[in-house]
Amino acid sequence: MARKKEKYTHVKMKRSTGSKVFDTLNIIFMVLFCISIIIPFWDVIVRSFSRAQDISYMHINFLPKVWTLDAYKYVLRDDGILHALFISVARTVLGTILHIIVCSLAAYTLTRNEMPFRSIITTILLIPMFFNSGMIPAYLNMKNLGLLNNFLVYILPSAFSMYNTIIIRNYFYSIDKSMEESASIDGASQLKIFTAIIFPLSKPVIATVALWQMVGQWNAWFDNMMYTRRTESLTTLQYLLRRMLDAITNSTNTSASGVEAMGSLVDTNPDTIKAATTILVVLPIVVVYPFLQKYFVQGIMAGAVKG
Amino acid sequence: MSTEKTIRGSKRKKQIKQYTPFYLFVLPAIIVAVLFCYLPMGGLAIAFKDYKMARGIAGSDWVGLKHFQKLFSDPNFYRVLKNTLTISLLSLVTTFPMTIVFTILVNELMNKRFKSVVQTITYMPHFLSWVVVGTFVYQLLSPTGGVFNAVLLKLGVIDAPIYFMAQQNMFVPIYLITNLWKTTGYSIVIYLATIAGIDASLYEAASMDGANRFHRIIHITLPAMLPTMCTMLILQIGTLVSVGFDPIFNLYNDATYQTADVISTYVYRKGMVESQYDYSTAIGLFQNVVSLALVLIANRFAKKANPEYKVI
Repeated sequence: MARKKEKYTHVKMKRSTGSKVFDTLNIIFMVLFCISIIIPFWDVIVRSFSRAQDISYMHINFLPKVWTLDAYKYVLRDDGILHALFISVARTVLGTILHIIVCSLAAYTLTRNEMPFRSIITTILLIPMFFNSGMIPAYLNMKNLGLLNNFLVYILPSAFSMYNTIIIRNYFYSIDKSMEESASIDGASQLKIFTAIIFPLSKPVIATVALWQMVGQWNAWFDNMMYTRRTESLTTLQYLLRRMLDAITNSTNTSASGVEAMGSLVDTNPDTIKAATTILVVLPIVVVYPFLQKYFVQGIMAGAVKG
Repeated sequence: MSTEKTIRGSKRKKQIKQYTPFYLFVLPAIIVAVLFCYLPMGGLAIAFKDYKMARGIAGSDWVGLKHFQKLFSDPNFYRVLKNTLTISLLSLVTTFPMTIVFTILVNELMNKRFKSVVQTITYMPHFLSWVVVGTFVYQLLSPTGGVFNAVLLKLGVIDAPIYFMAQQNMFVPIYLITNLWKTTGYSIVIYLATIAGIDASLYEAASMDGANRFHRIIHITLPAMLPTMCTMLILQIGTLVSVGFDPIFNLYNDATYQTADVISTYVYRKGMVESQYDYSTAIGLFQNVVSLALVLIANRFAKKANPEYKVI
């Protein structure tokens, strides 16, 4: 087999001129493609380190004219932004922990093929994957449940996802049954078997789902706009950025609080502050990105391709 | 007969008792599903009611199909329906072929290191929220300090900065490009996973038979991608009437409603901004029912096209 592969690369090495031209063009094209992905990031980084007066459409700055940390100093001293950071971190941590507990326990139950009512339970849990009642019924429901302007609205509705539960369950199926059986004979309770054997053995899939959920929680902003926008103390970093966007475009499609949010910022320069805030929002994603890349590909393989 | 029944009954009881811990394990999931999926379904009733906040859902009067009649005589609805279909069809015909071409190009990169760098960079935007992406776009295209305007001015293409985000005819192109920017890397990863499964000896045999690189792409790589392509295509058709709320909401503004407003954003404004709860629920219900039907049909086709494909 190894010999075969060698031969194959050998064949590939003897390339025609046309093939070489193609390779060169392809590399150039890919470099351009990558640059187009990087430009927005680069732009926001440059802006965040620039002085307010250096930003204008008359100049194209590849690097800040004068490097300054003014915008970051402002952002890290602003109570509103820091509090929003705290809320975002809180919902990400608590939301992910809750999600993992609820989904992995449900997944463990769904591995019991012989369990009475198993198919009814599965159906009950499956339907939410295909149907949602829409924005307004959801809003009225949250209102009835008393979850408006309540931190729990960030973590309770997302505590369960059938998709992730199925991914976890598929992994549980692959765990050797004999370990569970011997523990059961030794008199361990089901909860003990789950926490001491099944869960620790499933670290790869738990890590995958946890990362998905973390990204989802960190990036969530719609629930903030829908259910908690009147409570300033529950503002997340994403929604804060959204309101800055609102204030700048003077759009009327969200509440007037966007303008208020900007009010405190107007005395400095909104552009650089917004850039520094954007960096604050993107940075955690960039930091966990290497892990994300690794686990997301695995997850796609497990979920989309094999089901 | 009756004893057999009781024996079976007691056996079942025993079985249920044996599984008690498992019922408790799955209970939180069921509670979440009931609270946040099944309970709101009751709220759908207001699509057929004259909803008065003070009287509650149950207390409001039934009005039958009044809201749906209003829907089909609402010129704004036809506008958003048209926009929804236009945007989803155009993004289908742009992203789909582009993704396949990009995947093949990435796959043809000889240098493994460069190949993985390209993937790492292009995959990144997938993890950003649409709020961040919206911020990026507004900033790049800003008339006061945006890079794009600066470049065009320098090149002499325009004399004065243009506020691109406020141009009605620019919205769809901007949306499509942004969508490509955000999603291409992710799709490439999915397709490359399929290509990785191709048996290398196929390529070898083809080369022996004198097939050049182009032939190998056409006759080996593409056919191997076909099942995944079918699945993806069909699934995208399933979402034809549901352009995502997030991308539109973070890119549009009141100057571009004419071309940018889609069903989901219209539902949001009618309901949450104008407080027409009953009417906007009716619009949402219409969209969800059509979507559900399309998704179910699409799933059926996807299963036929690719027997390995499973939703569950």
